[in-house]
Amino acid sequence: MKPALSLLDRRPYPILAACKIHEVKAAAEAAFNYFSKNGLTVSEFSILQPAEPFLNMAGEDLRRRIFMTTSDNGDSLCLRPEFTIPVCLKHIASGHTTPQHYAYGGEVFRQSCDANSSFYQAGIEEFGAANETEADARSLRYATTMLRHIAPTRDITILIGDHAIFAAMLAALKLPDGWQKKMRRCFGNNKQLRTLLSELSRPMQSPSLPHTVSKLITHGHVQALAEFIEEQMLNTGICPSAGRTPQDIAARLIEKQAIADLHLDSVVLAALEDFLSINVSLDKAEQTLNYFAARHDLALEDVITLFATRIKDIDNRGLDLTELRYNAAFGRPLDYYTGFVYEIRNSGHKLQVLAGGGRYDRLLTMLGASIPIPAVGFSIWLDQL
Amino acid sequence: MSVTLALPSKGRLKEKTLFLLQEAGYKVQLPADKRNYRARVSNEPDIDILFLSASEIAYELGSGTVDLGITGEDLLRETIAHPEKCTEIKLPLGFGYADVVVAVPDIWYDVYNMADLDDIAADFRQQHGRCLRIATKYWRLTQKFFSQKHGIQVYRIVESAGATEGAPAAGSADIIVDITSTGATLTANGLRMLDDGIILKSQTCLVASCLHGMHRKIDQICTRIKKALCFLERNSPST
Repeated sequence: MKPALSLLDRRPYPILAACKIHEVKAAAEAAFNYFSKNGLTVSEFSILQPAEPFLNMAGEDLRRRIFMTTSDNGDSLCLRPEFTIPVCLKHIASGHTTPQHYAYGGEVFRQSCDANSSFYQAGIEEFGAANETEADARSLRYATTMLRHIAPTRDITILIGDHAIFAAMLAALKLPDGWQKKMRRCFGNNKQLRTLLSELSRPMQSPSLPHTVSKLITHGHVQALAEFIEEQMLNTGICPSAGRTPQDIAARLIEKQAIADLHLDSVVLAALEDFLSINVSLDKAEQTLNYFAARHDLALEDVITLFATRIKDIDNRGLDLTELRYNAAFGRPLDYYTGFVYEIRNSGHKLQVLAGGGRYDRLLTMLGASIPIPAVGFSIWLDQL
Repeated sequence: MSVTLALPSKGRLKEKTLFLLQEAGYKVQLPADKRNYRARVSNEPDIDILFLSASEIAYELGSGTVDLGITGEDLLRETIAHPEKCTEIKLPLGFGYADVVVAVPDIWYDVYNMADLDDIAADFRQQHGRCLRIATKYWRLTQKFFSQKHGIQVYRIVESAGATEGAPAAGSADIIVDITSTGATLTANGLRMLDDGIILKSQTCLVASCLHGMHRKIDQICTRIKKALCFLERNSPST
């Protein structure tokens, strides 16, 4: 998984048995051996990293889960909790051209309730590939072959998901924008999504607003409303341009009003449930999605075509489609994941994530890249092998 | 065996606490020099009194350097990592009432609850190029409430040492988490509490440190203070 994501992931992190250093060492050696066999240069990253980018991307809650310290001039530093963000920062700073591969391996550090606080990861990130679906397939192929190279006898299951299909389905259901955003944020976190769906199925209570405000809302005067709010802001000494602007507030008030009397109806709920229950092997995924779209009369041709192309690319790279599972509800709840995601797990009862990856086209821009750079990559948890 | 009792070193909290001790029959002898932060109880030589700031009292209770202390529950929960493990609230004292709350600019007419705030926080970076900023001195309580209770992840805390209510107008933060008793300071600064924005209802408490075990003397002091409190309540003019 893209490690930053797993920091936020609510799933319990698999508890490691006492870390057997020589076994991890063997896995790490196998990982580096795989890199050189595939002509990949290994990039080095400092163990101490600036903490700000991690906190800005993953949020304040991460602070409890990383090891922080301060440099002598007062900058916040942390022990690297993952590699993806350091890779992105290095790429941006170097001004390298794309496409570009980065291979890496080493120790990462996270606070955990059991005794272990250091883990070993290795992975490959690819930035700026022209062909999206081919890059996705290449990433998945790298992840599986690398994992098999390190642990040839391990019994694994591979789970595929796609944020883009979920997003397209919400749009095709013509749900209000605000609801679509809420649902996209919960995608991949089943419990949160269920709670949200049940909340949206009930009519909402609207708060009592000052008379002038509710009158302007009822008449839908966004501009007049924004002007009124701006005046009030200036009166109370809140700067109208420093944070939320009068336009933001006015627009959201009107948007809220538009959905005030709405709630999720049973037809939409049935379609959502139907979608989330899709769990098939990848060779049947296109057909299943087409059938789903037809049954609920949803225009999903574009995303399904892209998905099908990716499946063909995966097939062309020699992966057995019947061994890959597409689970429509599988996603990674971090806002920079934009499409294809995957996870390699141990087969068996206990959920044990061995590797995770996906497409994160937004992250480099969020970290300051001057142009959008598409990106896809994965990390393997070497301690688990 | 002597017992160290830590009391607030200034203000109304100090006055109320000393009054309560007097009602409980403890003759606290204040030092002649006002700058001295120690005192004795003339009729109970086993009790050492220390005057400390309220947040220091919470910290010292957590580390076990004082046996008993009078401080706010908010400070206890903020200052100590596992307050339920190393301290025990013996008695809420019925004063120093204050709530730790989430407050937004009143002008945010579209934000009434934490679900609204979740929407705002999620869109903030895209719209403004930075995370939503929260000014507070309550790091721990804020993180627990936002991240663990409401699943709001993407925000940043701006540490505020004082006058937190002024942060949104000063432009150093967008919203605040702070303590309020009547809400008057919030209103005066153009802020409004969220409908479900109460993080903690706090008051001043008598708290014991559990790190060195509880001995009889501590229980004795607690009982006497409790009796005095009951007596005062029964005889207060409002009832």
